[in-house]
Amino acid sequence: MSTLRRFTPQPDGMLLGRFEAIEADLLGLVTTQLLEMLHSGSTDPQLAASDGVFGRLLPDAYRDDDEAAAEFRRFTATGLLERKAQNAQIVLDSLAAGEPDAATPDSEDRQPVTVSVDPDAVQAWLRSLTDLRLTLADRLQISPDGVVNLATEDTPFLRELYEWLGMLQEELVYAIDV
Amino acid sequence: MTKTAEHTELREEVSLDRPWVTLVWDDPVNLMSYVAYVFRSYFGVTPKQAERLMLQVHNNGRAVVATGNRESMERHVEAMHGYGLWATLAKAEE
Repeated sequence: MSTLRRFTPQPDGMLLGRFEAIEADLLGLVTTQLLEMLHSGSTDPQLAASDGVFGRLLPDAYRDDDEAAAEFRRFTATGLLERKAQNAQIVLDSLAAGEPDAATPDSEDRQPVTVSVDPDAVQAWLRSLTDLRLTLADRLQISPDGVVNLATEDTPFLRELYEWLGMLQEELVYAIDV
Repeated sequence: MTKTAEHTELREEVSLDRPWVTLVWDDPVNLMSYVAYVFRSYFGVTPKQAERLMLQVHNNGRAVVATGNRESMERHVEAMHGYGLWATLAKAEE
């Protein structure tokens, strides 16, 4: 266990995030998948309509008025999906610009990575981590009381990932919340 | 100030209409800290108010987070969806 803080605010408003190499890889991988999913939802509305996760990413704005809900969706869905995709891209850009620590001569392990996140990018990170968790919650079939209903060999890994992303988001909230 | 008459008229018109509300609903995914943060940063409420609203969502299943005309409530709902919160709008209850 590292005793380093995950996110450290800098005097210039930047936030420095510390990740193990494997953590940065994993976050990049799932964010890439999120981005692909958002793109496919934008280009194929039919697919979006049949995939429950889009129902949660873009919930009905009116509970008792289907027509108004459809109208709202018509006017907002494209923009919301675009902004969600932009947010995911910003996370990927931050990770891609991350700098590994200098390697020690005797170490074969990959070094931890420092990622700089500016205040605008922090907003993208917060939202994208939420979109990732909403997507994973859908895949894990988490019911309203928080119970995981998916029972496959993937469940333990997905669940751990879901919880790790939540921890990451909470660390981010606390780091900017002064 | 020269628009007093107009303003009065507008206000009467508004008061005849039941206002709309933005509701945020409880979900099993979003963290309490994040929801309170969203209320603070988007609606500009105090940390105490944000905490109270967040607990209302958590304990009662939902909370009214804004009141106003339909257009501005739609704007708030869209913003909440951007944050990943589950939000709807409805006419205020009488």
